[in-house]
Amino acid sequence: MTSPHMFDLLVIGSGPAGQKAAIQGAKAGKRVGLIEQTREVGGACVYQGTIPSKTLRESALQMVRFLRATDVFEFRMRDDVRISSLMTRLDRVVRAHGEFMKEQLTRNGIQHLHGRAKFLSDREIDIQHLDGTHTNVSASLIVIATGSRPRVPDHVPIDHEHILDSDSILSLVYLPKSLTVLGGGVIASEYASIFALLGVQVIMVDSADRPLKFLDQDLTDQFCQAFEESGGQYRGLQKIRQVQWDGFSKVTTTLDNGQILESEKMLVALGRVANIEYLNVPAAGLTPTSRGLISVNEHCQTVMPHIYAVGDVIGPPSLASCSMEQGRRAVCHALGLSPGSAPEHIPMGIYSIPEMSSVGLSEQEAIAKHGGAMVGRARFHEIARGQISGMTNGLLKMVADAQGKQLLGVHIVGEGATELIHIGQMGLLHRIQIDSFVENIFNFPTLAETYRVAALDIAKQRRG
Amino acid sequence: MSPSSCLLEEELAAIRPVLANRLKTTGVDLPLLPVVAHQVLLLSGDPNVDSSKLSALIQQDQALAGQILRIANSPAYAPRSPIVSLQQAIAWLGFNMLAGLAFSVSVQSGVFKTAGYEKEVRGLWRHALATGLYGKEIARRIRHNVENAFLCGLLHLIGKPAILHLTSQTPPLAGRLHSWPVLEKLFDEFHLQAGTALGEVWKLPDSVKEAIRCFPDHLYDQATSPAKGAIITCLADHLASHALGTSDVEEETLRNLQVVRDLNFYPEDMTALLELKESIQHHVECFLS
Ligand SMILES: Cc1cc2nc3c(=O)[nH]c(=O)nc-3n(C[C@H](O)[C@H](O)[C@H](O)COP(=O)(O)OP(=O)(O)OC[C@H]3O[C@@H](n4cnc5c(N)ncnc54)[C@H](O)[C@@H]3O)c2cc1C
Repeated sequence: MTSPHMFDLLVIGSGPAGQKAAIQGAKAGKRVGLIEQTREVGGACVYQGTIPSKTLRESALQMVRFLRATDVFEFRMRDDVRISSLMTRLDRVVRAHGEFMKEQLTRNGIQHLHGRAKFLSDREIDIQHLDGTHTNVSASLIVIATGSRPRVPDHVPIDHEHILDSDSILSLVYLPKSLTVLGGGVIASEYASIFALLGVQVIMVDSADRPLKFLDQDLTDQFCQAFEESGGQYRGLQKIRQVQWDGFSKVTTTLDNGQILESEKMLVALGRVANIEYLNVPAAGLTPTSRGLISVNEHCQTVMPHIYAVGDVIGPPSLASCSMEQGRRAVCHALGLSPGSAPEHIPMGIYSIPEMSSVGLSEQEAIAKHGGAMVGRARFHEIARGQISGMTNGLLKMVADAQGKQLLGVHIVGEGATELIHIGQMGLLHRIQIDSFVENIFNFPTLAETYRVAALDIAKQRRG
Repeated sequence: MSPSSCLLEEELAAIRPVLANRLKTTGVDLPLLPVVAHQVLLLSGDPNVDSSKLSALIQQDQALAGQILRIANSPAYAPRSPIVSLQQAIAWLGFNMLAGLAFSVSVQSGVFKTAGYEKEVRGLWRHALATGLYGKEIARRIRHNVENAFLCGLLHLIGKPAILHLTSQTPPLAGRLHSWPVLEKLFDEFHLQAGTALGEVWKLPDSVKEAIRCFPDHLYDQATSPAKGAIITCLADHLASHALGTSDVEEETLRNLQVVRDLNFYPEDMTALLELKESIQHHVECFLS
């Protein structure tokens, strides 16, 4: 073992959280080392998470549009082209994104240390390299950004062949005929709706009565309707007794009520666990929570003041968008730099088909917090742009205070929801009044007009 | 140069141009895929397949059906009760494993049954099977879908028996029994080319064709398929040689291969794979004994 290499800042993990922490440190003139156990930088976000799932979604949508167009243009696509072309495109996008990340780190003078990090003390880290050799590094400031991986529930024998997780589903070589999805969260809903759109018979099974329970019910109702229209089924309020590969052609899922579901493949999306198993955090003076997370204060600082933790390793909201901001802010705080005002209204984007997005308070939260709420709705089919683009299955729901004056939240379902939400986010940040949406002019025809229509709906209720 | 290596070189010099020419000109003369193997391959890609179709297919070939039943009853698969029907064997071994086996057994006992080299050809199939089995485990470790890895491993050396077939069929080489060292030299030189040609003639899936073409250490980085069959098969091939004792590569050398790094395997990953040695040997013996 060599003598320790000294850094000002050591970041463990090169996902969105670690990258932004490292870049912030480098921009502040610090000598930064970024430890990453995989060859590529970018983390789950680039290789198993956001980028691949969104690319697959986009490709699936394009393919379905294309297939629909075949009716018009009278040609046929070869069936076997489908999944391999989807996956090849995905591989290209992921590679390109990975290269871009690497280049960004080099440009900022950040040293990429390839190996697996393990704390030796609160300032010293052992890096195990692929060839089994070790390097000892130390720093006066350390950021843990080791992210998360799919949870493997005890009673589900994931074999990456028939019973897959959100990582191995990305290397399917053909589209299965049927798929059972365990879970009702973001990852489960996204993949379930993508595969249903591609013609796979999908059944989602979860313990909640509806998927994405944390979202406004108007949104999830619309999601369920679209999912069913593509042939999908949601089985809520169910407990899994047993999951088994029958050894030949089916995965059988036995529910607690005795019902047996059969499918060719299964996707298990029952949450994620933090990557702390190699870190030896007790050596750094840290104790993981009972859920295996690292606990931090509002500045992402752990009980050891010079050790910060950011991203999925500290638990929800477990979004790439928030992880990046946590990384940046943590390093600003550690270095005594002003991080700017704290993000107030974080939007939530779910890239299911249809897309859903939400910012601010829901109707129920507004009632609880403000003693009442007024709600305006605009359906995409009422808007010229919705009709022109064939995007008729959308809804924008605007939540205002009980007087119908102040904007409190926006919830959207339909194509473009994750982009459209930012108008609402800016409105909330600048505390704008509902009438501002009525009094101002929007481009015509656009989906942004839904804001005006929903605001008009509220204004109408206000007038009684 | 010793007299024996002189002789070897002379023999090689005589065969090489004939074989090279044969490979260049004659995709069509390559052996056809046995009917059963071809149908099994088609069935594996059919989403509407059910076990009765596969068992009906295997039943067409008595020898094949017998082999499958023997394998399913072997200790490696420890059946709870004796397996007496093909349907039962399919349920017990799993469709993909069975389809792969049926394919390999049918190819082995068909076109590639070259008189005079039975023992050596068996050695090739043992290696191919061990590579397929290791391929599955490597894919599992990288949390990659494992289905493709088995078939890639099983077929990556298909070019070798193809060369054997060609040398035994092509005048003026036909009818002569070449020494195994001579054939091994020819394999080294031509098996990728022969395997690639055979993959085309047999219309194997693209990802498998790519693994056959690109699995060697110096070629896997040319592979583009997201299925990663080539790089997985590269390491699986090394591990199979090690497990079956067909290479004298030390465990340490194996751990330090570039492909191990490129798969981002840490020492504990390799330890876990090396620990599978006995189980893989056992499976291979049960399959092919
Ligand atoms: C299918 C899916 C879809 C998603 N979609 C979205 C989305 O649409 N929008 C969104 O905002 N978010 C999305 N997310 C969530 C997002 O990907 C994560 O929130 C984000 O990647 C977390 O970033 P991170 O930096 O904390 O961790 P990660 O991205 O997980 O990166 C952690 C890195 O640390 C490395 N590491 C771990 N342990 C060690 C160690 N001991 N030594 C060295 N290195 C180590 C890992 O190899 C990894 O590279 C999605 C996630 C998934 C799985």
